[in-house]
Amino acid sequence: MPERTHGFRIDEQKCRGHLACMRACPTQAIRVTDGKARLLPQFCVDCGICLTACPSGAIGAITQSFAELDKFKYKVAVPSPVLFAQFPVGITPARTILGLKALGFDAVWDFTVELALVNRAILDYVEEWNGPFPVLSISCPVIVRLIQVMYPAMIDQLLRLQPPRELAGRELKRKYSEELGLHPDEIAAVYITPCQAKTISILKPAEGVKSNLDGAIGISDVYNDIVALTKDLEKKETVAPPKGPACSVEMLRWAISKGQGNTLRRHRYMSVTGLSNVIQVFEDIYKGKLRNIEYLECDACWGGCIGGNLTVDNIYVTLSKIHRLWSDLPNTDPRVDAEVERRYPIEDFSLKGEVMPRATGKNTGGLKERVKRIKTEEAVNKMLPGLDCGLCGAPTCKTFANDVAAGHASQDDCVMLSGKRLKALQAMYHRKGEESTPEGGG
Amino acid sequence: MAEELLRKTYEVHGRDFDKAGENATEIKRVLKELNIDSMLVHRAVVIAFEAEMNVVMYATKGTITFILTEEAIELEIADEGPGIEDLEMALTEGFSTATNEMREMGFGFGMGLPNIRKNADDFDLTSEVGAGTTVSTKVRLESNA
Repeated sequence: MPERTHGFRIDEQKCRGHLACMRACPTQAIRVTDGKARLLPQFCVDCGICLTACPSGAIGAITQSFAELDKFKYKVAVPSPVLFAQFPVGITPARTILGLKALGFDAVWDFTVELALVNRAILDYVEEWNGPFPVLSISCPVIVRLIQVMYPAMIDQLLRLQPPRELAGRELKRKYSEELGLHPDEIAAVYITPCQAKTISILKPAEGVKSNLDGAIGISDVYNDIVALTKDLEKKETVAPPKGPACSVEMLRWAISKGQGNTLRRHRYMSVTGLSNVIQVFEDIYKGKLRNIEYLECDACWGGCIGGNLTVDNIYVTLSKIHRLWSDLPNTDPRVDAEVERRYPIEDFSLKGEVMPRATGKNTGGLKERVKRIKTEEAVNKMLPGLDCGLCGAPTCKTFANDVAAGHASQDDCVMLSGKRLKALQAMYHRKGEESTPEGGG
Repeated sequence: MAEELLRKTYEVHGRDFDKAGENATEIKRVLKELNIDSMLVHRAVVIAFEAEMNVVMYATKGTITFILTEEAIELEIADEGPGIEDLEMALTEGFSTATNEMREMGFGFGMGLPNIRKNADDFDLTSEVGAGTTVSTKVRLESNA
């Protein structure tokens, strides 16, 4: 059983100690010791940037397999809207749904209604909120974890509403258990996810309660099968795609950034995508800026969820497809509106549980001890070259100074301060008789 | 006399609006890293920020001295500037000598010094017209416990 507190794992066999993941990690959660990358789980926010950065393919996303779902009597797929915009022209949303069913799902849940409900709840929330501003969106699990780890002072600003996928899980279990006479625990609600961060948010929610969803399967894990299966279905021509729209404008809007802007058009709203951009904006908020913005939608991936690392197409192709799908869909659906009117007054959308700051181990010891640590860090930092070469195994000189002050590293690990370290590295990275990697190593 | 644990001095330059507030942010970062109670951090940062803004708006240059003792967060802001003619007036909420330009930038509502005094447990203001102003404050570590 793999460790499931984080959305990926490092394969030590494949890791060649390239330092690429360590340098790319936005929260400095990776160190390279003895030529192998190691995760400091308390700092990891599950953004998945290390996955893409690794030249050796040593970091893999944890998603679930179909086998794990066999224990359920009735399996319902809850596809992220991003799924529908991944396929070639012939594979319409309706056919995609058929493909999911051919894969073994008993039903496919369209969460347009839940989306519309959440949009309305957000509007009410923002209008009633007395500050501090801006309210921060909670839909992207990476952002929630980033705040827990790096900006705990901003936790109160997180929207305390469940994301639509969670409400979808709750509603589909209610509906199918009633219709089929099953216990809700016998029904699996499986998110078809664009990123491994949502998988981990389902398996281990930041707010410390049980998710309404039972698991997640990556879009890239179902893509090939759906393409193949829909081709077969076409040949047989036995099953006609269901009539009526299989997707909605609301769903597609949610998949891209600025999705909530439409709901909040009368409010001061801002959207930021890309983790480095989000960090920049959070730094400004931390400095006391941006208090005029009422709602800030943040997505760790560029362009929003369409940029997730378990998607297949690049974001521009996906956007183009969304644009195309959009033009075929009606702007409003009276059935959706009626459902929203019916459900909004009777349902509770508030977040179960509380998002708490994550213990990073930085705040231990008494005041004197902590001051001493800061002073040591500053003193060590002054001796370091400031090159951020990474050969000590920490991403920056400053991080290294911090590690030394905390007693996790020795200043002799710096090649500028110790010749021994250089020799040790030469021995470790000298690959006798081995072919160099196609990337050129390093 | 409480033992001094940490002392840092920051320079502030008058009219440096785009960098205004950076020292206060740095002080906030250090206090946060030391795991000081967030209410105390907030009060100290308000003091540092308002005082830093006063230097930026009115003075030629100045320094912020940040001292952490076992008992308090001490902030002393000394500037070379025009000085304050009427200390009592300067401490009245809403009184300001800010120019329109400053007000357009969102400052100069006459809340700076009153805000500093409100957030400090100990507050001392001395000024010499034509020479400069010094604000000395303490936020006691026990005051919010």
